[in-house]
Amino acid sequence: MSESLPLPPQPHGRVIDAHLLLLDRQVLDPHDVPVTTVDDIELSHVPDATPLDPGDPPVITNLLSGPVLATRIFGGRAPRSRFERIPWGDVTDVAITTHISVPAEELDLTWVERWVGAHIIAHIPGGRHDPE
Amino acid sequence: MILSELLGRSVVDDAGTRLGRVVDARFVLDPAPGEPNSTARLYGLIVSPQGHTSFGGYARRDMNSPALIMAYMRWRERGAFLVLWPDLATISSDTVTLRAGYTRYSPALVDS
Repeated sequence: MSESLPLPPQPHGRVIDAHLLLLDRQVLDPHDVPVTTVDDIELSHVPDATPLDPGDPPVITNLLSGPVLATRIFGGRAPRSRFERIPWGDVTDVAITTHISVPAEELDLTWVERWVGAHIIAHIPGGRHDPE
Repeated sequence: MILSELLGRSVVDDAGTRLGRVVDARFVLDPAPGEPNSTARLYGLIVSPQGHTSFGGYARRDMNSPALIMAYMRWRERGAFLVLWPDLATISSDTVTLRAGYTRYSPALVDS
């Protein structure tokens, strides 16, 4: 890190780096139930190979969660359609974990867990109540 | 665009000289999450000639111990700089081009 470089103008608002505080962080719902991790971030408009507007920076539209394990090991990139999205407007706090305002059971990205719980785990003796 | 498509792209100046790779993206949360119309806008990109991103908290300006680890991390991240969004000219499929006269800023995070 270059100590001799000037500090940038201090903007109004909190400043975060995506790698440090968003990517791979756990997402918790309003009841502190773990929902997923942030696998990627979707940005609004970024024109491809055309001059950028200095006064119109892109913003985060969605946090993405999807099948990234295989692509991180073997390379490549998962299709965008495979990601589940959490709108940025549902984010209530960004800290060690990311908090959202939507309960886990209302999110599409937890349907596999809910389906397995209802159709498989529930049929196993003792599978309908919490462990004692 | 998805952020991972941007990370790792080569960064060149207006003359085509390679400066490094995009290793992180800095956002400003204003209004903050949880407030009406909360927004996270792209403030700038962190460019590293070595392609190394920071970890262990040493990206923060006030994180400076243990001294031995700090010295290693500073060496590992040498040459990294922050370039603000207004200094970006174009983003193509594999390259980010900066405007002529762009400014290099310290990539250190300052708690706000």
